[in-house]
Amino acid sequence: MFSKQVTSVKELGAVAKALIESFPGQRIFAFYGEMGAGKTTFIQAICKILGSDDYVTSPTFAIINEYSTAELNPLFHFDFYRIKNIEEAFDIGYEDYLYSGNYCLIEWPEKIEQILPDNIVAVKIEVIDNETRNIEARII
Amino acid sequence: MGSKNTNDIIILGIESSCDDTSAAIVGNGVILSNVVAGQKVHEAYGGVVPELASRAHQQNIIPVVDQAIKKAAIKQSDISAVAFTRGPGLLGSLLVGTSFAKGYALASGIPLIEVNHLQGHVLALFIREKGQPYNPPKFPFLCLLVSGGNSQIILVKDYLEMEVVGQTIDDAAGEAFDKCAKVMGLPYPGGPYIDKLAKEGDPLRFKFSKPKVPGLDYSFSGLKTNFLYFLRDNLKETPGFIEENKADLSASLQHTIIEILMDKLVKATKQTQIREVTVAGGVSANSGLLAALQQQAVKHKWNLIVPKFEYTMDNAAMIAITGYYKYMEKEFVGQNTVPYARTKL
Repeated sequence: MFSKQVTSVKELGAVAKALIESFPGQRIFAFYGEMGAGKTTFIQAICKILGSDDYVTSPTFAIINEYSTAELNPLFHFDFYRIKNIEEAFDIGYEDYLYSGNYCLIEWPEKIEQILPDNIVAVKIEVIDNETRNIEARII
Repeated sequence: MGSKNTNDIIILGIESSCDDTSAAIVGNGVILSNVVAGQKVHEAYGGVVPELASRAHQQNIIPVVDQAIKKAAIKQSDISAVAFTRGPGLLGSLLVGTSFAKGYALASGIPLIEVNHLQGHVLALFIREKGQPYNPPKFPFLCLLVSGGNSQIILVKDYLEMEVVGQTIDDAAGEAFDKCAKVMGLPYPGGPYIDKLAKEGDPLRFKFSKPKVPGLDYSFSGLKTNFLYFLRDNLKETPGFIEENKADLSASLQHTIIEILMDKLVKATKQTQIREVTVAGGVSANSGLLAALQQQAVKHKWNLIVPKFEYTMDNAAMIAITGYYKYMEKEFVGQNTVPYARTKL
């Protein structure tokens, strides 16, 4: 079980690195946490670790953002916040992304629980106070 | 349009980057039709047949194109070229539009034109309507592009020459509206509800944090979190806090978002010495934003140009008009063109 407490945004880079190194074979990471917990902010730190210089912005509207990485393969950043039913995930062709073998970082995975693959990393971001977050990760 | 003259340039535009499927016809730079898929399109075709893996764009694209051609009162054979949104957007959605456009161009033996969705939003300012006054901006100008997915300041040097000089580093302005609205219990998308409530409220009642981002870039993530915590802290003491202060909260939130947008836009006009200012994207329908733009325009002597509302949303008219300008430059692409999910201007 991966568990870290973060008290400042500045620490996120180190935590992001530790997270990726703790799950070397894993490519799909699902981020759980309430609005404002810092899911996008943490994913920005992870993208940097994975070698992306792109602007990492919230994909709430676009649902999927694609970024270049240090490797040849792009990484995918999902946000299912605004989808209303599972058909919308089918409509965007989620399988092509999730089974691509590329890094997939997913916000609001609760919305697509029934189609999430097994054996992925669940990252839980818990708000302790305005500055402090607990970040836990395990394979589900 | 009547019978086609050999010199007429008629462009079929197709937009399928996100939720809505849309097709439009532009003839010699004048909009002839602009159809956005809705239930009415389905009705004409006997209703939607739900199917688990159905792709909405696939269902919509043929009826939408068909309607656009009929409404424009042209024949299929009149079309000079097909313009389509190549990106950015959802890959699955883009593929439908791209594949359709390629097939159409190939079957009709006409050129294919790719369009960047964001460039389309900017060139929507050049959409001309029959019998309506036409006041396009003069080059160079600055365009504040604000929508659910974008917050950018674009320096536009010519129809096909533009550069992003500032953009959001996290959330878009429209997203800040929508997410804060959600926290207040308003429906999604909440931007229009906030705008409505704000009219009744005091914009200076509550103070929310403004980001400190260098240059001309934007950030709205911190404001969202600040708003969330502010509500949470107040709800602890006053359970009815949101209900009692809905109007003032909306007004203060909207005021802050607009101030953030304006600060960088004013900075951009000073840096570039450009006073020709325009706005594009869905959030430009926000009445508070329009009022603030008008105020700044008077204060800083801008020539402000605001597009018609229906062309600020995602639509194919903006793709067709961009296609028109690209046609003039003979900027065509081949059948090997693939969509891209993300791109810079």
